[in-house]
Amino acid sequence: MQGKIFLKRLKNIYNKKMENEKYIKVLNILRKSKPVLGSTDNIEKEVIKRIARVHQSRLNLSEVIDFLFGWVYIGWVRRSLITASIVLVLVFVYQQSIILKRIDFLSRQTVVIDRENVSTHEDEIEKKLLIYKNSGRRFSSKTITISEKQMKELLESVNELQIKYKDLENLIEEDPELKKLIEKKLIENNRTKINL
Amino acid sequence: MIDIKLIEECKGGNFNNFRKLVGLTSPFAFSVAFRMLGDEDQAKDVVQETMITIWQKLKKIKSAEVYKTWIYRIVVNKCYDQLRKRKRNPEFVADEQTWALISNRISEGPSAALENKETSRIISILTERLSPKQKAVFILSDLEEMSSDEISEITGISKSAVKANLHYARKNISEKVEKYL
Repeated sequence: MQGKIFLKRLKNIYNKKMENEKYIKVLNILRKSKPVLGSTDNIEKEVIKRIARVHQSRLNLSEVIDFLFGWVYIGWVRRSLITASIVLVLVFVYQQSIILKRIDFLSRQTVVIDRENVSTHEDEIEKKLLIYKNSGRRFSSKTITISEKQMKELLESVNELQIKYKDLENLIEEDPELKKLIEKKLIENNRTKINL
Repeated sequence: MIDIKLIEECKGGNFNNFRKLVGLTSPFAFSVAFRMLGDEDQAKDVVQETMITIWQKLKKIKSAEVYKTWIYRIVVNKCYDQLRKRKRNPEFVADEQTWALISNRISEGPSAALENKETSRIISILTERLSPKQKAVFILSDLEEMSSDEISEITGISKSAVKANLHYARKNISEKVEKYL
């Protein structure tokens, strides 16, 4: 029995050793086979090219700085001038952005009066005006966009209507029979009496 | 071995010496990158990017002695980025041809040396189930033959974590070797 256990252990140790040997052999092969970098020239060229590109862009920036502040020879004055100019540019950009925002906000608020082309139909305007009137002038039923021409026409028609109304009033005042007839008609129709 | 004087001169902005440094540094940076990625073109890209980073940050190095560790760290980090970009292979497929190749090379004895393609196939098949960190630890320890202190410094993980990762990687690879060879 003990012999069997001993043999089993021996077999396990042997297997482990074989396994380790295989692993070590694989490792040795891999260690020995160092990856070969064909030629470093291409890498060298590419690296130098890319570094030169970065270097060039930095040079351009320093050239611009030299051009702008080259006349200042004292180091700290030059640095503070550069800082001040950067701050000014930043403030300018910030202000511009605020102005643009305000303009955008105001442009949304303004009523556009188109001189010629207005898509709103006349009937539609009347409908909207009726809604406005019926709602006790509290609700404007959205925005009404009318042209200058239409506005003139509207004012003219209102003036005309006022003149006609006055004419009619005078006519009724001058003719008592007509006045009586109208009053009678109104009573017949159960309408409220209109004080002419 | 890279001359410390050369590094110091490069720190001063000497472009010609930097060319020399690129020539000296590229091979071992490529070795790690290639073993990590298993792709020659990607490894070359990593080497290029590493060299550019070196040029940009060389002045920040406090002593030239740490140069090699520093380079390895850059390479390993760039390889991590590349590996993260890749999609994970959901299922491991044992490549019979690769195992046959490994078997042949073992029987050929210690004189056998592999080509880049063969090396990449073997490393890929052995480390496929490992995480990028485990892969890095295995490559740096068992293939680049670095100490756990150096690996800890390069990968930024503790020494005990290095040992744990290495143990897991070795176990995983041994199981595969035993199963397929």
